[in-house]
Amino acid sequence: MALAFDEFGRPFIILKEQEQKTRLRGLDAQKANIASGKAVARILRTSLGPKGMDKMLQSPDGDVTITNDGATILEQMDVDNQIAKLMVELSRSQDYEIGDGTTGVVVMAGALLEQAEKLLERGIHPIRIAEGYELASRIAFEHLEHIAHKFEFSATNIEPLIQTCMTTLSSKIVNRCKRSLAEIAVKAVLAVADLERKDVNLDLIKVEGKVGGKLEDTELIYGIVVDKDMSHPQMPKQIEDAKIAILTCPFEPPKPKTKHKVDIDTVEKFQTLRQQEQKYFDDMVQKCKDVGATLVICQWGFDDEANHLLMHRNLPAVRWVGGVELELIAIATGGRIVPRFQELTPEKLGRAGLVREKAFGTTKDRMIYIEHCANSRAVTIFIRGGNKMMIEETKRSLHDALCVARNLIRNNSIVYGGGSAEISCSIAVEAAADKYPGVEQYAIRAFADALDAIPMALAENSGLQPIETLSAVKSQQIKENNCCCGIDCNDIGTNDMREQNVFETLIGKQQQILLATQVVKMILKIDDVISPSDY
Amino acid sequence: MSAMLQPQIILLKEGTDTSQGKPQLVSNINACMAVADVVRTTLGPRGMDKLIHDEKGNTTISNDGATIMKLLDIVHPAAKILVDIAKSQDSEVGDGTTTVVLLAGEFLKEAKPFVEDGVHPQNLIRSYRNASYLAIQKIKELAVSIEGKSLEEKKSLLAKCAATTLSSKLIGGEKEFFATMVVDAVLTIGNEDRLNMIGIKKVPGGTMRDSFLVNGVAFKKTFSYAGFEQQPKKFVNPKILLLNIELELKSEKENAEIRLSDPLQYQSIVDAEWNIIYDKLDKCVKSGAKVVLSRLAIGDLATQYFADRDIFCAGRVTEEDLQRVAAATGGTVQTTVNNIIDEVLGSCDLFEERQVGNERFNIFSGCPSGRTATIVLRGGADQFIEEAERSLHDAIMIVRRALKNSTIVAGGGAIDMEISRYLRQHARTIAGKSQLFINSYAKALEVIPRQLCDNAGFDATDVLNKLRQKHALPSGEGAPYGVEINTGGIADSFANFVWEPAVVKINAINAATEAACLVLSVDETVKNPKSESAQGEAAASAMGGRGRVGGAFRGRGRGMRR
Repeated sequence: MALAFDEFGRPFIILKEQEQKTRLRGLDAQKANIASGKAVARILRTSLGPKGMDKMLQSPDGDVTITNDGATILEQMDVDNQIAKLMVELSRSQDYEIGDGTTGVVVMAGALLEQAEKLLERGIHPIRIAEGYELASRIAFEHLEHIAHKFEFSATNIEPLIQTCMTTLSSKIVNRCKRSLAEIAVKAVLAVADLERKDVNLDLIKVEGKVGGKLEDTELIYGIVVDKDMSHPQMPKQIEDAKIAILTCPFEPPKPKTKHKVDIDTVEKFQTLRQQEQKYFDDMVQKCKDVGATLVICQWGFDDEANHLLMHRNLPAVRWVGGVELELIAIATGGRIVPRFQELTPEKLGRAGLVREKAFGTTKDRMIYIEHCANSRAVTIFIRGGNKMMIEETKRSLHDALCVARNLIRNNSIVYGGGSAEISCSIAVEAAADKYPGVEQYAIRAFADALDAIPMALAENSGLQPIETLSAVKSQQIKENNCCCGIDCNDIGTNDMREQNVFETLIGKQQQILLATQVVKMILKIDDVISPSDY
Repeated sequence: MSAMLQPQIILLKEGTDTSQGKPQLVSNINACMAVADVVRTTLGPRGMDKLIHDEKGNTTISNDGATIMKLLDIVHPAAKILVDIAKSQDSEVGDGTTTVVLLAGEFLKEAKPFVEDGVHPQNLIRSYRNASYLAIQKIKELAVSIEGKSLEEKKSLLAKCAATTLSSKLIGGEKEFFATMVVDAVLTIGNEDRLNMIGIKKVPGGTMRDSFLVNGVAFKKTFSYAGFEQQPKKFVNPKILLLNIELELKSEKENAEIRLSDPLQYQSIVDAEWNIIYDKLDKCVKSGAKVVLSRLAIGDLATQYFADRDIFCAGRVTEEDLQRVAAATGGTVQTTVNNIIDEVLGSCDLFEERQVGNERFNIFSGCPSGRTATIVLRGGADQFIEEAERSLHDAIMIVRRALKNSTIVAGGGAIDMEISRYLRQHARTIAGKSQLFINSYAKALEVIPRQLCDNAGFDATDVLNKLRQKHALPSGEGAPYGVEINTGGIADSFANFVWEPAVVKINAINAATEAACLVLSVDETVKNPKSESAQGEAAASAMGGRGRVGGAFRGRGRGMRR
């Protein structure tokens, strides 16, 4: 803030701790903001596409993450700059809404900012640029709808869904078995999807990972996998046609919640108390037996006494199962969660075709598989991989693939990938630009140029000549009037993305363009930054 | 000898800063002008935003005058007056907060040369008051009433007002979309005075266009226990029970103690406790309600009990949301489960749990009494949604104001130019010093169109002269002409639907004149050295409340003890 002086030349203070604040205003503020936005985009640029590189991130406490998922990279980078934070949120909101394309949206925003900088230097008012971008984004939005294809699929014909998920997975480290992972993702989503309401609750898909084995061993289980073992080592390891009692009460004598005291003044009383306690255990186990349960899954622990009794009565049990897992088990097996032994009835038992305990390799780790459930509305994807980082990255990649499948169920329109949609939009926007009178025309053209940034980055990351490739593809699109021409990242020999089976969801692409425009608009509109000066 | 010396009389504490007289007055004016300069560039559809970043790391990007003024943390005593008028404009009208600060700054700027020339401030004050009175009369005269129009017509008129307000904001690109949304929301709550009946929920992700209006209530899925996912998530025409009690297994009385002498009675105590909770749950079920909401916790036991009986429940619903549900569905919040009669149950056409972005939302729609509306805002970044919320708040206030007073004036600086012309004309009929002062008041009013042009990058002098010429036409047909923001010329604001409620202008002129007069009437400041920090704290505490409850119950995970 400019210092004000009174009539005697003394400065007076208007703001609190005025001296410690820095203020950047006007064009300088915009330039600085654009520069920081661009810096973030530059980091992500090399992660785009099937040949994109990964980033290794080390957190303050030494955890290492290796990923090429834009949202994750930015999240872990812990940026400090305010504008850079906006970019982080941009990618996060793409992640929330669509789940995929988090890198693309940031690269796109970076390109838009870069173009805006040039226009600002020419003296165009930032709001005019923002308005031009807005117009252009609508043109692109509508154009995308125009070039989109409906993708028909049904519960039996899932091939189109798999193809789209494969496109997403191809840019990840797991691309060597993208086919099998895509199949897993699609099947998992279809298992939990409510096709009528077009609603998919991803909470019902449990993703579990275990170090060891190889990626190809990753499997989809129509049921639940719990990282627990049987409470007693001598219990049977495999139960067929299990009837499962799902309990949220411990195998312990019940306690009243009110503060209580039992006065024991004679030996007899003590004896009765002890007997009663034992009877409780006996009753509890008997109750489970009576309703016909062959497996007990409990949220809490057991007394050693109870454990022993269960073992004795040949009733296998699992203890300390987390609440979320318990709920998923209940959903998968069609059982009900029972809070009290008195409430156990045969109808409340869950059913599973097979429950088995599986040990892995030479380690002592065991896990319990609950499979062949009557109602597989909850499924588990069980990931194997060489190391922890690999598994984490696979989880993230699968999350993207799951989101893509979900989006397709919501809206089955797709556009072609490999930058073809962007190139096509760029051509459309460029053509539309000339129709606008006024300064906006320049901004619209700049938008078209910015759209080229994505195919350009794709080409660059794939080791192709970016400008040469892009111009060749662009001219091909115009010449053949074919909006499916994209960058041939995998060197297959054709530019036609239809043949390469590279698809992306329409809503994902539209969201990218709208979100990027929105954030760029916001950044452009700021002309005054007031911050504590130590930043 | 020393006894002869005149001892110095110490009246005030050491370090006290006293400045007085004319220099003091001028320096106060300077301070106010410096503050007005900060918000100057945010005016109008081409106005820019400010990014304010405080020590705690909170960032705000805003275009709203009142918000910026509050966040600036101004300590200068005279300049603080401007913060106050911005706040009062915000609470009174909701919009025009930048205008009011700008006007006050400009009035003072015009007064400065006179003060330097030795005019007594009281003379200035009297003339300013007079001028503001005349200006307000003129506004009332020029205002057009929208009373007596049909509902459809009124709706589109109100939407125009809302669009004018929104055009200067970040969401200006979608102003029609949001204007209709705001008008619908305001009309839904009708004459209800409680603004909190319009809920605004913020969900990061998606684009602005994904925002939607729920004709009823929507809130984020609350914290839930195991068993929740087994409850049905969609009901048609459900009965809704609203509670303010805990449905959990717990000790009924604090500090009570049970003493048992016979161990065999142990079981009966346990049973008694279970029976209490089962009894409560049973009553809920018997009432016939399909959706049970409670402000307090609904425990895991209750969740599973309800799941068994195909009932949906949500615990720890925030007070505000629960009130809204009550108003919308016609239910009453109960503090006991005894004697639940049908009348206290609410109902709605459809209840469902839906995915919005990354969150699950509980949505009640098609409510019978329809006294509430919820706007679910979407956007790419937190700051973006925050700013959108502030903008919508302004628009809602404007629409409500317009609905109540239902007179509007032309925007785009047209009304300011017209008043200015009128005052100049009036000034010529006055003999004496007052003529000069009213003239300068009139000149100060021109700051609005001038700033609109400056912000848009047009030649202000050029546009202003065109406007002056139009407004000076004797026929009076030029009165609605204002700045045309797109081309840089002038245009009939009224015909272009750049409208604002008259009350915004009236209040702005009133508040700005008051503030200017207040600053002018001060000729001495006594600043106590110690009170400095206390003042700072007071300012900080005032900053804290823009009266909106953020962050309902966060946490999407399900809380289960492992």
